Amino acid sequence: MGAWNLTGTTPASEAAPKGDALSVSQAVEMAAGALDALPLLTVIGEVTGFRGPNARSGHCYFQIKDDAAAVDCIVWRGVYGKRTFDLRDGMQVQFTGNFNLYKPTGRMSFVAKSFTLAGEGLLRQQVAALAEKLRREGLMDESRKRRIPAFCSRVAVVTSLSGAVIDDVKRTLRRRNPLVELVCVGAKVQGEGAPAELIEGLRRAAAIEPAPDCILLVRGGGSFEDLMTFNDEALARAVADCPVPVVTGIGHEPDTSICDMVSDRRCSTPTAAAESVAPAMADLAELLAARERRLGSATQAIVRGASSQVDTFARRVAAAATGRLGQLRAVLDAAARRPCLQDPTYVVDRRAAELDQTTDRLAGVIVRDQARHAEVVARLVPQLMASTSGFAGKRHALELAASRLGHEGRALLSAPAAALSSQAASLDALSPLKVLARGYSIAYSDAGVATSAAAFKPGATIRVAMADGEVTGTVNDVRPAEESAG
Amino acid sequence: MADVKPVDELTYKEASQELERIIRALESGDMELEESLASYTRGVELLKSLRTRLADAEQKVSVLLADVDGMETLVPVEAADTSDQLSF
Repeated sequence: MGAWNLTGTTPASEAAPKGDALSVSQAVEMAAGALDALPLLTVIGEVTGFRGPNARSGHCYFQIKDDAAAVDCIVWRGVYGKRTFDLRDGMQVQFTGNFNLYKPTGRMSFVAKSFTLAGEGLLRQQVAALAEKLRREGLMDESRKRRIPAFCSRVAVVTSLSGAVIDDVKRTLRRRNPLVELVCVGAKVQGEGAPAELIEGLRRAAAIEPAPDCILLVRGGGSFEDLMTFNDEALARAVADCPVPVVTGIGHEPDTSICDMVSDRRCSTPTAAAESVAPAMADLAELLAARERRLGSATQAIVRGASSQVDTFARRVAAAATGRLGQLRAVLDAAARRPCLQDPTYVVDRRAAELDQTTDRLAGVIVRDQARHAEVVARLVPQLMASTSGFAGKRHALELAASRLGHEGRALLSAPAAALSSQAASLDALSPLKVLARGYSIAYSDAGVATSAAAFKPGATIRVAMADGEVTGTVNDVRPAEESAG
Repeated sequence: MADVKPVDELTYKEASQELERIIRALESGDMELEESLASYTRGVELLKSLRTRLADAEQKVSVLLADVDGMETLVPVEAADTSDQLSF
């Protein structure tokens, strides 16, 4: 052993005699005691290797480090249960506790009795708490957010007038849409007094006449601390209360400030915010082209519609006229088809035919009647024959009665006849005609038998009846009887 | 269309909105033919004016400055330089 000088120093034979050597346990015990003697320590470090509470025990084992050193760290389950935030790798955390040496392995650990966020972590926690507070107040409600016109023609920009950001915004909008009028309102965007200047900037921008369509609240990228201005509660409230809609573009993509949360539109960068307030010229030109097409096609459609309506009317008029003409033609055709026009002799023929029919019927009827009457007569003949069968006897009786009547009549007349002939002879003897026969005549005037010559006047007609005829003459002279008698 | 203003007196936005209204009205198809033709003519006029304005657009930038009495004034400033040349 003595032959080797492994350390290059003189052998420490006096300082550590072999008999004074400590066991590992003794040595570790000494070290542990030394550690325990340290007072309660507060250590700031970055959490690393954190894998959450141990699944079985619920204790947390990880490391805390800084640029030059690292140490194991233990947070017992009970302590971790009282935490106000979850530990995560990369967090700057302030741990308060003591060193402890685990003798079986000799590992030294810092056992934290409590821990709080430190530095940026603390700030972030405060920001998160403020965000939560404002969220509960409803300042981040979607329903609160005002609509930003698609095409803002007047835009106020609240930011630092000395930085590159204002130029970015101007350049972006000049390229994208020079029709947007920009009003720049300067304000400090970081450091002491920045929130107050920004609040004043917002107020001034909103008061511009005529009012801008929206306000761009923008700031370029920076550290977390630089951007802390935009996590200021008063500024956040001013953004939410601003009478003009506010578009934010603060920092770079992953940065989100409370102003972003309460603004009406949040964009990731100042350039994006500027681009969001107006459409690009190319889009406008395209929109105009689209409108031109719509204008043309809509008008064309209207004209086409009107034209097709006119066509329809024309067709309907034609159809109506054709229909009416067809109707009239049909009526005319029907009239033309009437028999009286088709065949003028029809009426006569029909009557003749009717007459023929009647004649036929009449003839038929007569024949039938004759037959019927003949039949009746034929039936009557035997009846008649039967009814005249008694006539012979009656005729004989009649003849007998007639001869008796004649006989009786003659007998009855013979006596009166004899009387009559005697009387006739007497009468004959007395007849004037007999007188006439003896040469007397009877003169008649117009008034009858004239018994006096006075019955005549000269010139009157005189008729004289004689036995074998009459003579008519005119009276020439009338002489009374005294002359003759004389 | 009772408020027919000369196209030149309209702002870009007003002209754009009126054009959109006209197109919507035309597209609705409820218009009399005469009215639609008049609208079309107006639409073409608006379209032409809008195109011209797009072509001739110049950026307007001003800075809001408060003087000692607190009076706010808008001071026109240079439009942005869009040349991509670097200047030192």
